[in-house]
Amino acid sequence: MTEEQKSGVSFNIREPVYIQVVRHFKEQIATGQIGAGDKIPSRRELAALMKINANTAQKAYKEMEEQGLIVTEGNSPSRITQDQQILSSIRAELIESAVDIFIGSIRNIQIPVEELVDIIKTKYTSERKLSPEGGDTR
Amino acid sequence: MIQVNQMVKIYGFKKVLNGVSFTAAKGEITCLIGINGAGKSTVLKSIMGLTPYKGEVLIDNALLTPVMYEEITFIPDSLTMPSNMRIADCLSFMADFYRNWNAERAEELLKFFELSSKDRVSSLSKGMAAKLNLLLGLALDCDYILMDEPFSGIDMFSREQITNVFTSELIEDRGVIITTHEINDIEHLIDKVVLLQHGKVEREFYCEEVREQEGKSITDVMREVYKK
Repeated sequence: MTEEQKSGVSFNIREPVYIQVVRHFKEQIATGQIGAGDKIPSRRELAALMKINANTAQKAYKEMEEQGLIVTEGNSPSRITQDQQILSSIRAELIESAVDIFIGSIRNIQIPVEELVDIIKTKYTSERKLSPEGGDTR
Repeated sequence: MIQVNQMVKIYGFKKVLNGVSFTAAKGEITCLIGINGAGKSTVLKSIMGLTPYKGEVLIDNALLTPVMYEEITFIPDSLTMPSNMRIADCLSFMADFYRNWNAERAEELLKFFELSSKDRVSSLSKGMAAKLNLLLGLALDCDYILMDEPFSGIDMFSREQITNVFTSELIEDRGVIITTHEINDIEHLIDKVVLLQHGKVEREFYCEEVREQEGKSITDVMREVYKK
């Protein structure tokens, strides 16, 4: 993970920072920017990189540990888990929550599903062509 | 932990603090927020015994006594060193004056803030003076640091360097209280907020809890309190 990718996170000020940090790591894992067994920064390093409170960084890591995303053995730095089942569930989880948000905001407009799917197809494929790397996150 | 209990301060006929109580834990950054004149600086000066007050201040559960001031550093809102001194002179003055001066950390901080020890105080820009001011306080070995308005009147780049202090090991395991009336850049850096209004603590809360339980930003809560 490069410094740029991490410090490029822009936070929502109304959502707990630790949850946003966990989501950021999941996105990095799902898109292959960090892989199974990779070392992750210490909590101080993470706080400095993301410009967040060190106790919040600590809380994010605790949450990730509880979800089995990272593992810590003894005094060595924490690493991304090698558990394939957990890793593959991350992508599914991210997709599902993104789709949930989308559906939540489109439902009020009451558009027929066929029409919606067509719009999504056109938009999604044309945006992909514009930014083959998946786009700048900033 | 610093515990302020029922602090009362009267200037003439004006009750500036009317029973202020809050806590600030070690290893956490507590932000004392209030609009101008809310009494933020008065709280810090009272804790330091720089001005008389009623009420009590406990440090790690013991009533504050003069001996304990080695455990607390107060960084005022502006530099108080004579303008003809060089930065190096300021550092050796501090070394002579304070037993808990950490020269090694002072050197680290010089690099961290990109200051040159040859520069004279009179030649420093506002931002550089603010950084030197912080350096002099941060280089003291102590458990608690009180900073009065560390961001006021400072350019964007110095501001960024100063915010880096809050995520660095420079404050590791220390308890920090900062006062500010403007929170935009530091919402994600602080642990806890104490909102002062009309000489009292209107709200005291952990930032992550307000985000998680109320879905509000710190600025949202400030608007609610100060628009009343």
